[in-house]
Amino acid sequence: MATTPRGGGTAQRPNGASQNKICQFKLVLLGESAVGKSSLVLRFVKGQFHEYQESTIGAAFLTQTLCIDDTAVKFEIWDTAGQERYHSLAPMYYRGAQAAIVVYDIQNQDSFQRAKTWVKELQRQASPNIVIALAGNKADLSNSRVVEYEEAKQYAEENGLLFMETSAKTAMNVNDIFLAIAKKLPKNDGAGNQGSGQGRRLAEVEQNRQTNNCCK
Amino acid sequence: MDDDGTDELLLLRAREEREKIFQRYDRGTDPSNDVDPWENPSFEVYHYTDKYGFIQDQRLPIKHDPHESRRLELEVEREKKWLKMLERWDRSQDKLRKRVFKGIPNKLRSAAWLKLLNIPETKKKNAGVYGRMLTLARKYCTETRQIDSDVNRQFRENLAFRERYSIKQRSLFNVLTAYSMYNMELGYCQGMSGLVAVLLLYMDEEDAFWGLNTLMSDRKYAMHGLFIEGFPKLTRFLQHHDYLVAKIMPRLHKHFAKHNLDSILYSLKWFFVIFIERIPYKLCLRIWDIYLLDGERVVTAMAFVILRLHKNRLLKLKDMDAIIEFLQVKLHKDFGYDDDYVIRALEHTMQELKRLKLDLPPPPQPNEFPQRQLGEFIEPDFEKKIGHRKSVFTENEREVLTNVILRQEIIGQTDVESTNSYENSESVTGDAISMRTYQSFNSLATSLALSTDTLDSYNENKLDSGSDTEVEVENTRL
Repeated sequence: MATTPRGGGTAQRPNGASQNKICQFKLVLLGESAVGKSSLVLRFVKGQFHEYQESTIGAAFLTQTLCIDDTAVKFEIWDTAGQERYHSLAPMYYRGAQAAIVVYDIQNQDSFQRAKTWVKELQRQASPNIVIALAGNKADLSNSRVVEYEEAKQYAEENGLLFMETSAKTAMNVNDIFLAIAKKLPKNDGAGNQGSGQGRRLAEVEQNRQTNNCCK
Repeated sequence: MDDDGTDELLLLRAREEREKIFQRYDRGTDPSNDVDPWENPSFEVYHYTDKYGFIQDQRLPIKHDPHESRRLELEVEREKKWLKMLERWDRSQDKLRKRVFKGIPNKLRSAAWLKLLNIPETKKKNAGVYGRMLTLARKYCTETRQIDSDVNRQFRENLAFRERYSIKQRSLFNVLTAYSMYNMELGYCQGMSGLVAVLLLYMDEEDAFWGLNTLMSDRKYAMHGLFIEGFPKLTRFLQHHDYLVAKIMPRLHKHFAKHNLDSILYSLKWFFVIFIERIPYKLCLRIWDIYLLDGERVVTAMAFVILRLHKNRLLKLKDMDAIIEFLQVKLHKDFGYDDDYVIRALEHTMQELKRLKLDLPPPPQPNEFPQRQLGEFIEPDFEKKIGHRKSVFTENEREVLTNVILRQEIIGQTDVESTNSYENSESVTGDAISMRTYQSFNSLATSLALSTDTLDSYNENKLDSGSDTEVEVENTRL
């Protein structure tokens, strides 16, 4: 499947031809505290990076649209808090999600272990068709790496996950991981509804087509 | 390796990690300290730094704002009055109340907050306790890593917290680790670092510790119940907030429901950190002044005021994205109303809600307050020591989850009437919500409306023309 060329520079807003279809997907980010969940989202949505990204309390919500061929894929992104205390709120965010990115910090073995338990929880509790991606973030700091690429890659393959090492700071693989997810999601009509607890409002999507222009 | 050997290893690793973090705070800004280059932001001295120490993302203005000098004059006048009042402190006097609503002069905020939070007495009564907690924390704090990573991103745009391991960063770390020992049931929850950071801008380390303790354990604020596992107080206050919005601003309630906007998504920080980073800092301090005087009912009223003042604007926003962006980002940059005006609206709303007996949600369950003796030390168990996460939810957590999901489903039905269940629930005490009070909702809706409608339209024009972001442009187009 050919993808539209990405806009260069920092904005990372993909450009593309006019689309015929809009699909909305709910995507949730999970992972240990301070692994860079919010930073990945900020990079993907706004093309920015803050060294001192404030800690997420509860959760944050953002959207971004990608174009693949003639389809606009709109991600409704739920960025969750990493501290265990907030774990009890997490199911509220991954309920009905069609995609998840589980993030760990390549410098922190515990965060990788935590990522594995998130994957398990998603496989048990989330929608059966959920597309899960594993992101080894802070790849720019690879000189203090403790989680080996191969180890994570193998784990991902065994569990049927997409896998990339990313850096929100340098933007490495950030757009790519969202794009890979977008490609893997079913985009036939109504597919966005699969496994969704809340049901996407396709009528509304239709309505918004005039204004909801992803390819700015 | 046998189990015992593994356990030993895990304990050793946790101990080493904790000790390393503590040592870095001990060394502070000493050049020998181990600071990654990314941990220290550059100082851009020619940027505008406000009088609270926050570095603003704008260059210095060319000339002074004449209104600002007028405000300064007024503040000097108020300082004189406050100095007298602080000498003869009487919490119950009307004069104090009136003056707190006018705003505590920034120079005297430190003295006034200490008194409002009853810090000097508490500290005297508990002499030596803080030192003991610091010692305990060093040996047993299981939240060290989390606290460290939160200190590293708290108020980094403020001069006091700018430099890694600066005095205020060290104080923040110390207060939070020590408090996790003093109130072991609560430990540390994200959000608490924000509260302590604000306190530390106005007081020293030990005072901030006792200030935090007052906020958590005094019945007037009772923030303990907000931050403990399962967040029971948050659930109770959100439910009440939803009820007020549904009854007094049904159109807005429907609008939010249509876009699947659960109040937890936009208001969590309002309740958890008393509006820090959700409204401009200057206004936030005014709210804190009143919060420290009057406690939790201020948050309920202010949450309502924010939505009420921006109702028309919110109704025009076409999706959840835009609404959340507006409430979380835009209002932090520019609230769109004069601070004094907001405070008047808040005062008015507090009075009206009180009259309607709606200033507070139904009373709390005992579990919202500390159950164990504060300061009582119980050695953390093995799992906690090595930082293991629980794999199953506790009873409390399951309850909160069911609650939140249920609420989402109710909201999903886009039906205002559904909030009636709240009215009929057993937890509502007495006849707080009678037909008579129901009718008075209208008076609250309209009385605020009378005074705000003209400002609303003024304000919208201002926001529309003054803004250049995508959401704004998109909405103007629509």
